[in-house]
Formats: sequence, structure tokens, C-alpha cells
Amino acid sequence: MSVITQEMIEKALQTTADTVIRNEHYFSDLDGLAGDGDFGTSLASGFKAMNREWDEIDKSSIGAMMLKISMICSKHVGGSSGPIWGTGFMKAAMPTRGKTEITLAEAAELLQSAIDGIMARGGAKRGDKTLLDALFPVHEAMSEHAEAGDTAAALKDAATAADAAVDETRALRAGRGRASQVGERSTNTPDPGIVAIATILQDWCKAFGVESHPTAEEVKKAIA
Amino acid sequence: MKKFVNNPDNFVPDFMAGVAAANPDLLEYVPEFQMMTRKDIGSGKVSIVQGSGSGHEPAHVMAVGPGMLTGACQGPVFAAPPVDACYETIKACNSDAGVLVLVNNYQGDRMAWDMATEMAQAEGINVRQFWINDDVAVEDSLYTVGRRGVAGNFFVIKCCGAAAEQGANLDEVEAIAEKVNKNVRTMGVALTSCIPPAKGTPIFDIGDDEMEVGVGIHGEPGRRREKIKSGNEIVDELFEAVRSDLPFEKGDRVALMVNGLGGTPITELYLMYARAAELAEKAGLTVARNYVGEYCTSLEMAGASITMLELDDQLEKLLDAPAKVAARIF
Repeated sequence: MSVITQEMIEKALQTTADTVIRNEHYFSDLDGLAGDGDFGTSLASGFKAMNREWDEIDKSSIGAMMLKISMICSKHVGGSSGPIWGTGFMKAAMPTRGKTEITLAEAAELLQSAIDGIMARGGAKRGDKTLLDALFPVHEAMSEHAEAGDTAAALKDAATAADAAVDETRALRAGRGRASQVGERSTNTPDPGIVAIATILQDWCKAFGVESHPTAEEVKKAIA
Repeated sequence: MKKFVNNPDNFVPDFMAGVAAANPDLLEYVPEFQMMTRKDIGSGKVSIVQGSGSGHEPAHVMAVGPGMLTGACQGPVFAAPPVDACYETIKACNSDAGVLVLVNNYQGDRMAWDMATEMAQAEGINVRQFWINDDVAVEDSLYTVGRRGVAGNFFVIKCCGAAAEQGANLDEVEAIAEKVNKNVRTMGVALTSCIPPAKGTPIFDIGDDEMEVGVGIHGEPGRRREKIKSGNEIVDELFEAVRSDLPFEKGDRVALMVNGLGGTPITELYLMYARAAELAEKAGLTVARNYVGEYCTSLEMAGASITMLELDDQLEKLLDAPAKVAARIF
């Protein structure tokens, strides 16, 4: 693998939907430890809508597809996840407008654009114990492989980095989201957004035949 | 736990259909956006809009009607409405005099309403946002998104809705929102967890002999967990947290509210009110208006909150102005 095709992104999105829908209740349970327990159901409602509307989604380019998914999030996803994932997909659409395949470097650019948008929308930064703490190391792993262009190796390292983020952030105090309002009591719980990103990447590894072995307990429980 | 549910996914639209059916002259229900508006959206008057997670009834949808909210949209249980629904609610309630969005301060609601407001403003709609944050239980710091909005929401809506109905302009209505929010404080306690229908199990575990002091209306943990005490002792703790926070001082006129969180009988709420009124008197406060019942709930959570609002002549008159909403006892 050296380029990332639109078909691969479609497969990744469908795998993501499977991961999220399968873990609907589990991700909500994790959210309930320090937050309000709606993360899994909110996110699942968006990916259920994506599945329902899949055949009608404009797939003329990666950007067109991402923009349509952003709109599905705005319409169907309540809670914090709607604006966060909606903004993420919208910003990911921008550098991929009109493209039907991208390089690893362009994929890293897509993710950077999404990260910037999510930070602006929610006001979170790295270390606030949100899904950004998984997206940053994933972006770094992708960037490190950008020049060599080995997509499989990049995916493996990205998945490992996100998995590590679950345990690395466990002791942090939440700085954003409803978990932030419980202060010190948000420590020693995993962040469900980070667990979700890590699980999605593990399931991508499986879907694309990349060997990967997560160590975080929550991710081991959630993978297919 | 047994509930009256059809498909848990349809819990919110199903109850909203009932609210609409029970108030055919008053309310217009738009299922596509889980939106409820007044049937008589008056031109030339400021519109008051709210939207937040479901599960807090009568907030927010049963607060729609003359003298209260112009319109509201509901998200899933305990989750902010989708951006799209917020945007459509602003549009449906658009008025020449402008729209004021009153939202309780939570991260998800902030983001959804920020996006929706930006979209509406880009269309030329005169819309502003105001954030309600009356809960004293959680610390306020730059590190968090700030205090939560809970039962004090009722007083902000009531005063803004009355002012708008009386023809106040957008600046004036916004100033009233600021005044009420600045002068209102709340703290709650939970004895049991609620059970969101889609989840089907309690949102947190709590021992039979325990209580969560400072609980949030989504079951978020509060200040601490401790052994349950007598009703009066619990009221003493809640009242002091509320009184000392503003602080309310000798000579102040106040509205005093005991709000049930959904699973506590009205008898227990009045038991709590008796103690709260006694404490207010001891503190030299004059309770000029009193409220006992359910204003902002957390499904069937057993628990209650105490809210106090410092009054002046303007706010008293606004509280007394007539209003007609779906939440009613007559």
C-alpha cells in the first residue's frame, strides 16, 4: 500500500460504523464513569444514519463524501459528539476536495485539519483528556511514515499510539466535556473518546490485514 | 426497573407527541427536529428559545407557551440536540425583535448552539445566546467549561419570557437574563440513580445507605458521596451551600425553590421545604415567593435541589406575570 484510495476510505468508514454500533452500550458505560453516559449512543446514532444513507452519499470524491458525513452528524448526532465529529469531518473535507486518492502525507494533512477544527470548536487542547489525546499521536505516527509512504506500517504505529494513549491519559484530570466538571474524580478513568479512536484503529488494522496487539484493557474488550 | 417505553430510540418523540396532543391550542410540534413552538409566535416580540437534552421534563419543552419559551428543541435523553435542530428552532422562532437563546451551560450544548447561532447569524437573523450556570456544586475555573445550569433555569425563562411578552427589547431581555442568572444559586442531592431508557440500567451505582451531594442533573458526580442523613440535615447542607455562595444576606428578599429530581414524592419535597423556609428565616431572609415541585428533573432519580433567587421589584413583577405552559396542575 502506498496511496490511500477512496475505496479504502469507504471501507474504513464502514468498519468504523461497525465498531461504533457494536460498542454503543460499552462506550456509554465508559462515559458513565465520569461523564454522563451518552457518548456511545450519540455516536452510534450518527453511524447508523450514515449506514442508512450510505447508498445516497455523494462519493464523487473523498472531500464530497466527508462533507456529506459531516452534515449527517449535524442532523443526527446529539450531545458533544455531533459538533465534534461534524466539525472534524467538515474540516477533513477541505484538503480532500475533488480527490479520489491521497498520499499518506495528504492523509496526515486531512487529520491535522480535523484536529484544528475540533480544537477551535470545543476549546480543548492536548492533555485535556479528550479524543484529541488519541488524534495527536495518531497524526504523529502518520507523519513519521509520510515520506516512506508505507501505509500499513503507518496504520500499525497509529493504532499502537492510540492504544497507548488510553493508559497514558488514564490518570489525567479531564479538562473539557462533562467529565471536567467532576474535577479530581475524573482521574483514573479511561476517556471514552480515546478508547473509541483506539478501538476504531484496531478494527481498521484487522480490516486491512495489519497485525496489531493492543494492551489497554478497554480496547481489548471493544475490538471485534 | 420497569418503564413505559415503546422503542427506546423513540422515547423522546413519543413523549413529545403526547405533550402536543394534550395542548392542541397552545403548541405546534415538528417531529423532524424534535421541536415544539408556540402556535401564536407573536411578531414584534423578542423570541425566547431553549434546547437541551431530554430527561429534565418539564424543562425544556413543557416550558413553551405564552409568557415563557417561544420554542424549544429536544436532544436525546441527556444529550444536546443536533446542530440542525437548534438551527431550525431559531429559524422557526425568528422575530423582527430578535431571538434570545437561553441554554444551560454544558459543553455539548455550547458547541451545538454556537454552530447553530453562527449559521442563523450568517442568514441575517438577529440572535444572541445566554448561558445559565446556577449550580454551586462544581467549582468554576478557567480549567473547566464552568458551572452547570440546573433548576435556576426556570427563573431565567420565567423572567425573560414575561419581559418579552410585555414588549421588552432584546437588550432589555438579555439584561434580565443576566440579572437573574447572577442572583440565582442551586445545589442538589441524589439518593438513587436515574435510568436512561436507551441504556436501561442505572447510570451510576450508589449504596442503599448513601447519597451523592451536589449531584448534576445527568447523574454527574457532585462534591462527595456520603452516608445518608435525616431530611433536615440534608436540607441544612444544601441550604448552606446555596446561601453562602452568592452570598444571600440578612434583609434579602428571595424566591425559594425545592425542586424534585423526578423520583421523589411531593410529600418529601414539602418536608424539605419546611426546613428550608425555617433556615431562610433564621438567616434573616424574607421568602417572598415559594416554589415546591418538579421544575428540572433527571428522569426518575430520587433527589432534590434547593434554589434561591435574590429578588427586587422588577423580578417579583416578572415572576407574577401570567404564563401558560404544558406543565400545569390546574
